[in-house]
Amino acid sequence: MEGQGSEERLLLIQRLKAAVHYTVGCLCQDVAEDKGVRLSKQAVAAISEISFRQCENFAKDLEMFARHAKRSTITTEDVKLLARRSSSLLKYITQKSEEITSSNMEQKERKKKKSSAAKGVRTEEHPEAAVTESGDSNME
Amino acid sequence: MEERDGGFRKETVDRLLRLHFRDRRTRVNGDAQLLMAEMLNIFVREAAARAARQAQAEDLEVVDIDQVEKVLPQLLLDF
Repeated sequence: MEGQGSEERLLLIQRLKAAVHYTVGCLCQDVAEDKGVRLSKQAVAAISEISFRQCENFAKDLEMFARHAKRSTITTEDVKLLARRSSSLLKYITQKSEEITSSNMEQKERKKKKSSAAKGVRTEEHPEAAVTESGDSNME
Repeated sequence: MEERDGGFRKETVDRLLRLHFRDRRTRVNGDAQLLMAEMLNIFVREAAARAARQAQAEDLEVVDIDQVEKVLPQLLLDF
């Protein structure tokens, strides 16, 4: 049983490494074009390997941060802690975090408007609700 | 969220992190996944950019492993 588990894990690692390598390749190409240089395949492979390994450090730190806060779910607060070592990095990550939060709020607003339009009820007024609640106690 | 040309997908990031958790119950919430994807994007871009700068400083046209190795220590300290 354990043998199978570790085989699965190795397969998963292989697939993830491949996914990372692909993404790293794209990002490196972006940067190379920006800077007007060429990156050798070996350089890209090295960056890919380093990034994959760095994920282990990130994951363990994030888990520790969440656990320290007595949570089992890692949140954006934990990620911000991860970015504390460089002030410009922290600034950037904090900014991104705010962008995510505000885009979430926008989505919520849109959903609210959609659902209240569908029900045909205005969100400001609920006179009917007050009447039914003070009425029969037998009916739920 | 802006989708750049390349960039880590949040599902990939989630799986990458989960690979190393000690506790099976540990999870990453959606926003944190997005944020970590950004973090990884920056990490990779920094590595490439710093290596490129190193190559330029050495008057080289191609960025190779040597340049990556030279910028690696400071990169890891900054993250």
